[in-house]
Amino acid sequence: MMIEVRDLHFSYGRIRALEGVSLSLNEGAVGLLGPNGAGKSTLLRILLGFLAPQKGEGRVLDYDIRREQAEIRRSVGYMPEDDCWIAGLDAVRFVAYFGELSGMPRREAIKRAHDVLFYVGLGEARYRMIETYSIGMKQRLKLAQAIVHDPRLLFLDEPTSNLDPQGRKEILELIKDISSAKNIQVLISSHILPDIEAVCSAVVILNQGRLAAEGNIQSLRELRFRLYETKIKGDGGVFRNRLEENGWRVEETEDGLTKIFLPEEANIVDLFRAAAETGVQIRHLVRSRTSLEDLFARTVGVD
Amino acid sequence: MTIREKGYSHWDGCLSARPRPWWPITRMGIGLMLKKKPFRFFYYGGFIPALAFLIGIYISERIEDFRYLTRGSQKILEVNPAYFKAYFTSDFLLFMLVVLLAVGGAGLISEDLASNSLQLYFSRPLKKRDYLFGKAAVLAFFILTLTLIPGLFFVVFKLLFSGSFNFLSAFPWLPLSIIGYSGLATVFFSLYGLCFSSLSKNRRYVSLLIFALYLLSDLLASIFYDNSKNPVLTLLSLKINLQQVGAGIFKQKPPFPVPWLWSLFVLIVLASAFLFFLRRKVRGVEVVK
Repeated sequence: MMIEVRDLHFSYGRIRALEGVSLSLNEGAVGLLGPNGAGKSTLLRILLGFLAPQKGEGRVLDYDIRREQAEIRRSVGYMPEDDCWIAGLDAVRFVAYFGELSGMPRREAIKRAHDVLFYVGLGEARYRMIETYSIGMKQRLKLAQAIVHDPRLLFLDEPTSNLDPQGRKEILELIKDISSAKNIQVLISSHILPDIEAVCSAVVILNQGRLAAEGNIQSLRELRFRLYETKIKGDGGVFRNRLEENGWRVEETEDGLTKIFLPEEANIVDLFRAAAETGVQIRHLVRSRTSLEDLFARTVGVD
Repeated sequence: MTIREKGYSHWDGCLSARPRPWWPITRMGIGLMLKKKPFRFFYYGGFIPALAFLIGIYISERIEDFRYLTRGSQKILEVNPAYFKAYFTSDFLLFMLVVLLAVGGAGLISEDLASNSLQLYFSRPLKKRDYLFGKAAVLAFFILTLTLIPGLFFVVFKLLFSGSFNFLSAFPWLPLSIIGYSGLATVFFSLYGLCFSSLSKNRRYVSLLIFALYLLSDLLASIFYDNSKNPVLTLLSLKINLQQVGAGIFKQKPPFPVPWLWSLFVLIVLASAFLFFLRRKVRGVEVVK
């Protein structure tokens, strides 16, 4: 098991950051989602061994999150969201330095720095001063320092933030390669849901310190709700109000479609019943594929 | 530039806990400081007093050859504990140590704060004390090369030039005094530099603060002492405290009629305060923002 935590609780004074979070994540790439203040950073801090949970227990790569924090940090790689560098260093020395701090012998760290810099596409620029790097190059450099010591688990915090579409595509390609072909488990915290969808097979959604959803993206889509796209004739406002009274989420698109999210316990017949009661004709009804964005919005209750 | 020009391969080595996890930080810090031209200028300039005092030791042993310079006085270059105290507590040396803190030490933590690299350090199996010790050791290296190393060289050269151990048998405690004072100055200045370096992301601002504390404390102490003639007020000055303690450790009369242990107490309190603030400002948990 890559990560297994049970009943984690953590508070900053009166503010409850995590309340009874239990997870077990297996191999592959997993997306960690949640609105701001959901407890993602606190969970990452606990998993990296910076905070000890006030209640609950857990293991990361079979190391205890309370007692074996140094071993956890030795075995995992972490790519922070912010731009991080050390002024006055070239990429080789920078990456080798952090390899050494992870516990690699110096010569091995230098050798390995060259390899991972080639891997992330900075081979030609590896002797350039980091200050001269573009944002995209710095992002790749952060990835290189995170994998220099060949971690078994990689934490990536907003790996594609501030990148142009091409840079984003390349980073995602690398992450996909790392998680699928290199046998390194990846946990990605991101607000860019299409990125998570492109790379991850499973997600964990936190909301207000609690676990809102966890599991395979495909099955979560099926389990949580069904999405129907409809075209109606009649008073759309009344129809919409009626559906929302049932607790269903309704969205109207620019091209005149009405998207209706049916909860798993609801029946399609209820939809027709609501239409009949409000005098609306349903002219078009198609079962649609729900995106991760839909799942996220539905799970955490935001538009 | 295409990505994955070379494939990723797993490393077959074994990651191990280092006996001295702070050492790579120290080695890198020393290297980066020596790359800075202004720092090199002042660092090498800091050896001028050591060179002058070394020449003084040579002259003292060859006094007959230099009689024409000393105009008959026998005592003008007597190498004794007072000579060592004069070196260690000279205004120039102490000022150069502050300059080194301001030019090099100011960036040790503030640059890490500005470039967010603390996140990278603490995502490694490093404890806060390893990080701080590694950074402090950078300053300690430069301070010790300007205090302890010249001090011990003076003793060795004195013995070599005199060709006997009379000097050491007359003052057997002197090497311990050199080690003691160098150690105290190193700990004090390292904590002083690191504490201020952790206060801001702006290295220039930190440099100014380091200078300001040293110079203003001395200025205030001088003003208060001149007005009141109360020697206790000299305890406000960092420089005077270091000189008082230096005099005490080398068994000399302190420059002001205040017990040197009081100055030692002031320095210990200040160093403790620096350490307290330093530990509060550098926090591993900030790795994940």
